[in-house]
Amino acid sequence: MKHSIQARLLLTTTFVLVVFLTLTAGALDRAFRASVVAGAEEQLRLVIYSLMGSVQQEAGQLTFSQGISEPRLTQPDSGLYAQVANDLGSVVWLSPSALTTDVNFPRGYSAPGLFEFSEIDALIPRFQLSYTVIWEGVDAEYVVFSAVTDQRPYRVAIAEFRRSLGLGLGVAMLLFILVQFLALRWGLKPLRMMAAEVHELEMGRRESLSQRYPKELLGLALNLDHFIVHEQRTRARYRYALDDLAHSLKTPLAVVRNSLSDSSENSLLVSEQLERMETTVLHQLSKASAGGPVMGGKTIVLRTVIERLLRALQTAYVDRGVHVERQLPADLVIRGDERDIMEIVGNLLENAFKYSRGAVRVEVSSVEGGALKAQIVVEDDGPGIPRALRDEVVRRGKRLDEIEAGQGIGLAVVVELVALYNGSLDISDSRLLGGAKLTVLLP
Amino acid sequence: MRMLVVEDEAALRNQLAVHLKSQGFAVDCASDGEEGLYFGREYDYEVAVIDLGLPKLDGLALIAQLRAEQRGFPILVLTARGHWQDKVQGLEAGADDYLAKPFQMEELMARLNALIRRTAGYASPVLCQGALQLDTSKKEVRVADISVELTAFEYRVLEYLMLNPDRVVSKIELTDHLYDQDYDRDSNVIEVFMGRLRKKIAPVDLIRTVRGQGYRFLTDAGD
Repeated sequence: MKHSIQARLLLTTTFVLVVFLTLTAGALDRAFRASVVAGAEEQLRLVIYSLMGSVQQEAGQLTFSQGISEPRLTQPDSGLYAQVANDLGSVVWLSPSALTTDVNFPRGYSAPGLFEFSEIDALIPRFQLSYTVIWEGVDAEYVVFSAVTDQRPYRVAIAEFRRSLGLGLGVAMLLFILVQFLALRWGLKPLRMMAAEVHELEMGRRESLSQRYPKELLGLALNLDHFIVHEQRTRARYRYALDDLAHSLKTPLAVVRNSLSDSSENSLLVSEQLERMETTVLHQLSKASAGGPVMGGKTIVLRTVIERLLRALQTAYVDRGVHVERQLPADLVIRGDERDIMEIVGNLLENAFKYSRGAVRVEVSSVEGGALKAQIVVEDDGPGIPRALRDEVVRRGKRLDEIEAGQGIGLAVVVELVALYNGSLDISDSRLLGGAKLTVLLP
Repeated sequence: MRMLVVEDEAALRNQLAVHLKSQGFAVDCASDGEEGLYFGREYDYEVAVIDLGLPKLDGLALIAQLRAEQRGFPILVLTARGHWQDKVQGLEAGADDYLAKPFQMEELMARLNALIRRTAGYASPVLCQGALQLDTSKKEVRVADISVELTAFEYRVLEYLMLNPDRVVSKIELTDHLYDQDYDRDSNVIEVFMGRLRKKIAPVDLIRTVRGQGYRFLTDAGD
C-alpha cells in the first residue's frame, strides 16, 4: 500500500474530503437548527401578539374576545398552548388546547417589555416564550403572556434534514472518491505503462521504450532509452576492446612459446611463466568480457544454441562417433547474452565429448517456481570428475590459473559465468551413463 | 603433404611454416584472406590452417568461399578469441576443427594429422593395410610388426599414397604435394624412390604402377 502512488493520493484526498464534508455537515446542521428554533420563536411571538390584540379591559378586569385566530389554540392537545396570567399568579386566560394537557407555563414575571424565550428539555420537550406587560388600569398591573409549543415536530424536521444532508453528502463523497480514483488511474496510466514497458525491456520482448508518453514523462522515457542504448554500446565497445587485447596478446604468446624449442632450465622457466601468463590472459580477459545479465537482452532459445553447438562438436569430434541423446523442448527460452550462454553450454558439451566413450546425454527442462527457470543437464559415460576437483571447481573464487589443466579450465569458465547470472552448477555422477553429470540452473 | 597456412601475424606465420616444414609438410603461406583464397583456388591441399581474424577477407568468409567453390580439403581454424561463438561460426562456415590461441605446436600437429587421416577415412592414427602399418604420430612404418627404416621422403610418399588409396596418383601430384614449389621436378627421381620403397616394404606389394599415369595404392577391399 505504502509503495503505491495511487493509494497514497487516494488516501490523502479521501481524508481531506471526509474532514471537509464533516465540517460542512456540522455547520449546515447548526445553521438549520438555529433557523428552526428562530421559526418556532417567531410563531410563539405571533401567538402572543394576537392574544394581546384580543384583550379587552372591562372594570379593572381583562377579558378576551373569543375569536382567536390561531385554530391550534382551540384544539385540545394540539401542541400549541397559551396562557395569560397576572403577577399575583392567577390565570386570566388559558387556551382551550391546554385544558387537557399538563403544560408547565413559566411562573412569575420577567422584565416588562422583553420577550423571554427558552427551551424546556422535559419528557415532552417544548419551546416557551413569555412577555410581561404593565397594563394600566387593571388590578394586577403585571400581565404575563405565555405561549408554549411542542418541540417534537421541529425535532422531526431537524432529524429529517440531517438524514437527507447525510445522504446527500455521503453520495457526493462517494462520487468524489470515484471520480478521484478514475482521475488518478488516468493520470498515472503513463507511469504504469512505463513500468510495463521497462518490464518488457527486461524480459527482452522490446528493445526501447515507446514515445507515447505525456510531456512530463517523455524526457524520462527518452533518457532511459538513451541510457540503455549507451549502456549496450559501452558494453559492446568494452567487450571488443578486451577481445582485441586478448587477441593481440595471445598471438605473441603463441610465438614466444613455440620458439622455446630446447629444454634447457632457462627455457623451462620461461615456458612455465608463459603458461601462467596465458592462463591469466585467457581467464581474466574472458571473465572481464563476459556480458552477464543484460537489460534489453534478447531471449535465447536454448534448443537452438545447443543444436548449433552439437553440430559443431560433431564436426570437430567426428572420429569419436559420439551418440548424443537429447531432450530439448523447443519453447524453452532464457534471457541473457547469447555468447555467455553459448560459452556455458559449449564448455559443458565439449568436456562431455572429450571424455565420453561414445554416449552423451543433454537435457533441458524448465523449473517451476523460484528464481531459477531453466535446468541444463549434460551427462557422459566417461571417467567422471574426481571429487577433489569438484569441490575445487565449484568453490567460488577459485582462480583458473590455480586449477590443473584439463577439465578444470572449461569448468572454471562455466562456474564464473553461472555465478554472474546468479545460477548454480552442480557436479555429480551420472546414474544413466556412469560418467560425469553436470547440472546448471539459470534464471 | 601440401598444406596452406593463412595467418596475418608474420612471426606466427613464419614459425608455423618452419615447424610444419620440419614435420615434412610442403607449406604455402598467405598473409591475408584474399591471398589465402587465391592459393586455395589454385592448389590442392591435404589440409589448411586458417586464422579467423584476417585482413581483407576474414577467415569465416574465406572458408565459406572455399567451400562454395567445392574445395573440400580439411580446414583447421585458429581463433584468438576462443569464444564458442567463433568456434561454432567457423565450423558452421565449413571448417573441420578449431584450435584456440595460444596453442602448443604438438597439439596443432596432432590435430592436423588427425584431420588428414579422418579425410582419408582412417579412424586411428595408425594406418593399417594388410601387414603394413604406418604410425602417423610416431612417423614409423612396420611390416608384419617389424620396424622398417625409411627416409623422410620415402615415408612421406608412402603416407601420401596410403592417405589416397585406390586412386591413381600422378608423379606430378606427388611432387606437388611432397615438395615445396621450387623443387626440380624430375620424374626419374620419383621412380627411383618408388623402387626403393617397394623393396623396403616387401613382401607387402600394394603399390602398383599405372603406366603413363602414376601410382595406385591398393587397399584390402580394392583389387
